[in-house]
Amino acid sequence: MFFGGKGGVGKTTCASAFALATSAARQRDSTSARVLVVSTDPAHSLGDALNVRLSASPRQIRSRLDAVELDAPRAFARWLREHRRALGDILEHGTWLDRADVESLLDLSLPGVDELVGLMEIARLSREGSYDVIVVDTAPTGHTLRLLAAPETVGVVAGVLDALQQEHRLIRDRLARVTRGPEAADRLIERLATEAGETAARLRDRRQTSFRWVTLPERLSIAESLDAMRALERAGFRVDDIIVNRALPPSRPCPLCDRRRAEERRAFAVIRRRLSRRRRLRVIPAQLTEPRGLAALARIGRGVVGTKLASTEDTGETEEKPSKGLASVSSVSSVVASSSPTVSPESLPAIRGASLIFFGGKGGVGKTTVAAAIALRMARAVPDRRVLLLSTDPAHSLSDVLNVPVRDEPATVRHGPKNLLIREIDAPRALAARRKDLETALNEIASTLAVGPGSGTDLAAELMNLAPPGIDELFGIVSVVDARADYHAILVDTAPTGHALRLLEMPGAAREWVQALLRVLLKYRDLARPGQLARELVALAKSVRELQALLRDATHTRFIAVTRAAEVPRLETERLLKRLRRLQLSTSAIVVNALTENPGACVRCRTTAAAERQSLAALRRTLRRSNRAARQCAIIQTPLAAPPPTGVVALQHWAGQWK
Amino acid sequence: MQSCHFAILPYCNSVFILDSLLIGSLRFVLDKVVQAAEAEMQDDSALRDQLLEAQMRLELGEITEEEFAETERDILAAIREIKRPQQGAISMSPSDKITGVDIESFESEQET
Repeated sequence: MFFGGKGGVGKTTCASAFALATSAARQRDSTSARVLVVSTDPAHSLGDALNVRLSASPRQIRSRLDAVELDAPRAFARWLREHRRALGDILEHGTWLDRADVESLLDLSLPGVDELVGLMEIARLSREGSYDVIVVDTAPTGHTLRLLAAPETVGVVAGVLDALQQEHRLIRDRLARVTRGPEAADRLIERLATEAGETAARLRDRRQTSFRWVTLPERLSIAESLDAMRALERAGFRVDDIIVNRALPPSRPCPLCDRRRAEERRAFAVIRRRLSRRRRLRVIPAQLTEPRGLAALARIGRGVVGTKLASTEDTGETEEKPSKGLASVSSVSSVVASSSPTVSPESLPAIRGASLIFFGGKGGVGKTTVAAAIALRMARAVPDRRVLLLSTDPAHSLSDVLNVPVRDEPATVRHGPKNLLIREIDAPRALAARRKDLETALNEIASTLAVGPGSGTDLAAELMNLAPPGIDELFGIVSVVDARADYHAILVDTAPTGHALRLLEMPGAAREWVQALLRVLLKYRDLARPGQLARELVALAKSVRELQALLRDATHTRFIAVTRAAEVPRLETERLLKRLRRLQLSTSAIVVNALTENPGACVRCRTTAAAERQSLAALRRTLRRSNRAARQCAIIQTPLAAPPPTGVVALQHWAGQWK
Repeated sequence: MQSCHFAILPYCNSVFILDSLLIGSLRFVLDKVVQAAEAEMQDDSALRDQLLEAQMRLELGEITEEEFAETERDILAAIREIKRPQQGAISMSPSDKITGVDIESFESEQET
């Protein structure tokens, strides 16, 4: 049972609520069903939501319910330890590489390891723990699509290994006339291929696997869900349930809540028309306080599991009001004019003078909205400087936030400043475009290193038809490198935390890979003259080295963490800041987004505002306790706006209300 | 000249000798002619290979920036050395002398 959705829509909440409810329901039937809830997002929130400390080994939450947060690099390391010999044999037999070369290659880190081993780990945990139901809390949309495609990638890898092993097998069978059974290497290849095939089939078997898609009754979330639904169906997965989370229940009049409810009605109309047709629709009402801990989640669980469509009637029947189009709706923000001085984000020391700014944070906190607003302000402030706003999240939101189509080529925004260009990286397409170059390079590697004739080159080409995990981060970095010469400032809107960190770790990983290949080419230079491939690798190594230096140069590069004033995002943000420090990157500002200020008489708004104040105070305390660099980190507060600002005009207006 | 000889050595062993044994003396003679012609052209490419190798070693951290700069300067000087008589053979004109003087003065500047 997979729970997917855009970042911050409540996948973790819904998944854990569902797991709680399922384990409880089965107990009453006196069937001994055991439930495991697994988080596959490299930036886990499951422990924060359940309010327990979790690790990579399942921990009992209560009777018949275990929870686990996958640690993909560790799982991969374990798998590698188990199969290192066999894998090394294959590489040694199938290539000119000697054992030392092979060992150094096996030690390299894999950029897409989270997606590659995620499903394998789930299968292992399921076997070892004999669970009846596995609830998977996935990473935000883009990387979940990569996770689901991973079995195909593993299948191709098995094919490449098989081709490498083929020559050795021939020699063994014909010359040595040894008729022993298959070697460990053969068994490994066989097992990889079988597991990949079985997993791919099981994922598409509707009796065994089901998908529930979580969304908010809000434009950005629905737009991403529609894209994801199309992508999932193309890949042969079927989503049975749509869960609309955080729908506002009716209450006394409140200018802010009323405006949001009007938005929700329009959103529900779209959901019914385009998302929930032929699917079950479940609606979970917004809680008054952030649902953390078992009791709060169990309350929600009844809504996720039960057959009743909670509160759909309230929100559903008044749909299809003549809509004037969202762009023309004036936004109501929670700010009362001139209540306290505002800031101009582009002139803050945290932003001014930067040539590379990364926006990161938990899913759904508003990274794209904040990045777009700052990009617009920066470009307007200095019209003779070229600014590029680049999205590296495979599930892009730039076009939805700016209300314009955005493609893989940099383009200006209608009604926006002419010196601002925007681009959404389409990594699979970029891969396809560079296909010829890469095939040439792979052929060169194969002809240099492979023993057998043409070993695995066809399969390597096949690999390029897929979108291998890690591809988004790789092309994200390549695009930043390429764009550096053409722009004064590049603003990068990253994927949610886990994958943003992977993006920032990518230069290091890429350099290790490039160096390993260079070392091999150099070692065998008498066998094959280092040619075009070596020249390209040298160029790549150089630009990656320069990028690494740039990333650590605080005068040019800034990292801006975007968060919300709530406990789960705050805890994730604090972990993010720690990881960034370890990467020697400086966080210059934290944007606490969408604050409910001056709540008036509305109970909901007042409760929210009070919780936000507490969370904000906790964040400030953490920063004060940290080192000097963290204490200098600016905190920017932005007001909640209903509907969320989209389009050039609304974004610029909204950015004028920041503090 | 010495370095180019070394760079072609593996080809001599594996490709040319094997071919000549198989196909015979006519091919052997032809190969020798081709080899001689290639050797002259590859003077420059062997040096370029050396430069690429130095770049690879720089990226691997096996040599320092200073060592690389020194190697690069030597190789570029050697490449210019090879290019100069070739250009001279094509045409002799007063402007060539000026180019030659330019290169010489540039090199002497770098060496100081």
